[in-house]
Amino acid sequence: MTECPECAASVESHEKILGEVFACPECGTELEVLGTDPFAVQPAPKEAEDWGE
Amino acid sequence: MSDGFRLGLFTTIVRPEEKAILGAAGARGIPVVRLDDSDVIFGLDAPSATADVVLNRSVSHTRALYAARCFAHYGTPTVNPPDVIEVAGDKVLASLRLAEHGIPTPRTEIALSPEAALKAVERIGYPAVLKPAVGSWGRLMAKVGSAEEAEQIVEHKTALASPVHAVFYVQEFVPKPDRDLRVFVVGDRVVAAMVRRSSGWRTNAARGATTEPLAPSAELEELAHRAAAAMGGGVLAVDVMESPRGLVVHEVNPTPEFKALNAATGADIAGAIVDHCVEVGRR
Repeated sequence: MTECPECAASVESHEKILGEVFACPECGTELEVLGTDPFAVQPAPKEAEDWGE
Repeated sequence: MSDGFRLGLFTTIVRPEEKAILGAAGARGIPVVRLDDSDVIFGLDAPSATADVVLNRSVSHTRALYAARCFAHYGTPTVNPPDVIEVAGDKVLASLRLAEHGIPTPRTEIALSPEAALKAVERIGYPAVLKPAVGSWGRLMAKVGSAEEAEQIVEHKTALASPVHAVFYVQEFVPKPDRDLRVFVVGDRVVAAMVRRSSGWRTNAARGATTEPLAPSAELEELAHRAAAAMGGGVLAVDVMESPRGLVVHEVNPTPEFKALNAATGADIAGAIVDHCVEVGRR
């Protein structure tokens, strides 16, 4: 478990993997898994203009 | 698989698609080397091989293209190959390629200055659609209904700093039903297809379009194969509209998402992608 860097809500690691992007259950901020042991998150990278499929 | 074969997975972020790919590789006993596009550094001399093949899942067209060129320099094959990423990931190049192969596609004009863009819109007629040459998910696309709107939109695009917006890609607005079709091609196989339906004019799943499975007609399958082959082949999602003059291909996506397609069809798309990577890596 760690804290959302935006709203400080508790964020569970569950079965998340390195690099996984998910929404904070409290504030909805997109977070990226920075490490799994210990579990750490950071705000996910913002969509850039050359992003796409 | 225990012969030392390794799959490189080049990513920006890990979404359900990348998790599915990791799962499919794991189920096949294939070790995966994770390569984060914000961490990698490429030298001019070939390093000891990190992987037998690299699957590009970077969402950044720029990073994907330069990385694929570097991997090619080292002799490591990529899915998709750099030329495919370069052409399919740029709407201008993709339209030129489709036209060169005689594949029906919406009427398109390319202009390199705001003044020429306004003339191009007039030539296409109203409504027209202005799209960035690079990018997806319907982002920064504009439907232009009049000369006045065209002037405003071109002015706004001119104010944007990115050189992407210095190229004006102008396309006819295709009067289609409230849906478009997506056909997912892996190698020489259509693995799944779906209908994307939206009440708006942009039918991107990312914009909330609803999806349902589609059993593609022989005509649609053939068109998808031709479009994928025109780009150079690989893992490609071919987007097709039903225009009054028949099916037209408007995009071929070189790093396609497939969460919605997976949910709609149940097809094992990740498995097909991993199998294709193994085939490419063993060539």
